[in-house]
Amino acid sequence: MPRGSEVRIEVSGALRYTFPLSLDRTVAVDGPLGSTLIEIRDGKVRVKESPCHNRICMHQGWIRSGAVVCLPNRVIVTVSGPGGKGEFDGISG
Amino acid sequence: MAGMTRVFHKALALSLLLLAVLSSCTPGGERLFKKSRLSMDTIVTITVASSSETAAEAAIEKAFTETERLAALLSYFSENSEVTAINRSAGVRPVVVSRETFDLVEKALYVSEKTGGAFDITVGPLMDIWNFHDGVLPPDSAVQAKRMLAGYRDIKLDSVRKSVFLMRKGMKIDLGGIAKGYIADKVVEVLKKTGIKAGVAAMAGDIKTFGKKPDGKPWKIGVKNPRPLAKDADADILAAVSFYDSAISTAGDYERYFIKDGIRYHHILDPKTGYPAGGCRSVSVIAADGVIADGFDNGIFVLGPLKGMSLLKSLGIDGIIVDSAGAVTFTDGLKGKIEIREK
Repeated sequence: MPRGSEVRIEVSGALRYTFPLSLDRTVAVDGPLGSTLIEIRDGKVRVKESPCHNRICMHQGWIRSGAVVCLPNRVIVTVSGPGGKGEFDGISG
Repeated sequence: MAGMTRVFHKALALSLLLLAVLSSCTPGGERLFKKSRLSMDTIVTITVASSSETAAEAAIEKAFTETERLAALLSYFSENSEVTAINRSAGVRPVVVSRETFDLVEKALYVSEKTGGAFDITVGPLMDIWNFHDGVLPPDSAVQAKRMLAGYRDIKLDSVRKSVFLMRKGMKIDLGGIAKGYIADKVVEVLKKTGIKAGVAAMAGDIKTFGKKPDGKPWKIGVKNPRPLAKDADADILAAVSFYDSAISTAGDYERYFIKDGIRYHHILDPKTGYPAGGCRSVSVIAADGVIADGFDNGIFVLGPLKGMSLLKSLGIDGIIVDSAGAVTFTDGLKGKIEIREK
């Protein structure tokens, strides 16, 4: 993983946590629908459990870069490094 | 995310995500600044090249404001949008709308003509009965009934009064298959007005670039693999495409779908049948304008790989088609600009 990559967890626009991607941990954040469980492990992060209806955030699985978004529960998890998030200026699809 | 995604639930504008300085040490002192926000129920990311962080932040803020303004006009779901006003007056009276809404409906009709109706914004009633969240197949009788309400030829435009009229009761337009590309174009206009010379407006996967990166290189856009090998964003790229002043949009059968009895039902509906179009896994279109890229990715998806590729060629725009078996083809214009990562 890029050195210094960090995980930012935001709820309803407010930054709740910033963790190094290298540090395994699980954290729960409360959004309007309830508690979203976010897991960091082996240089990857995912939404492990979510109170939302569609579970798109959970189905996205593990990411090493980019973002997982739970629109219903207003949770955004982004992975960013000091050098940016990789070789691409955008992702289409 | 270019498909007929119903992205306009409500204009959210939740949060300011990150302001990242992405590169440095260029001759003119320009660097890239990038911010993301949740808007239109998706992630909107604005990237600008600037030598001043203050100028970059101000430009990005204006870009987000423009996004929200247009989303409010064009939303399918908002009670107060112009699209809702048009739909409510179907079969009753023409509705006078803003220049932008009129302009976009006119462009959508152009795409409908060119695709022989494979792209059609009058699929609103059909989209209403497909529930991709819960994976429930609508009854065929309902599909057939709603299909009869589609038909772009029954949209009447008055270019003097700037009015839109849906001629039959029950008709509804949904601009979700073309609006994000249009908004990307408009956001780029706003950025240019603020003096920004290069940047990227990304309405999720509907992306418009302009100018050169501070290092002089073209913008590099990754196209998602419609069937990723692993649930890992890093392994999720089908192709990398590099260009300067172009837009790209992708329509894919993997964005919103359910699988029932081994059949994948996704959100890109063929207006003629009322059911999901079967010929492709994904279609990416690269064109000068975002509205063209976004409109045609859906239409070409519905036409299928063969007709779709020949339409791209006749229009003189570029594209990448992944057919239903996973075979990847792309137009000659992309040679030297594209790098296929996975097949």
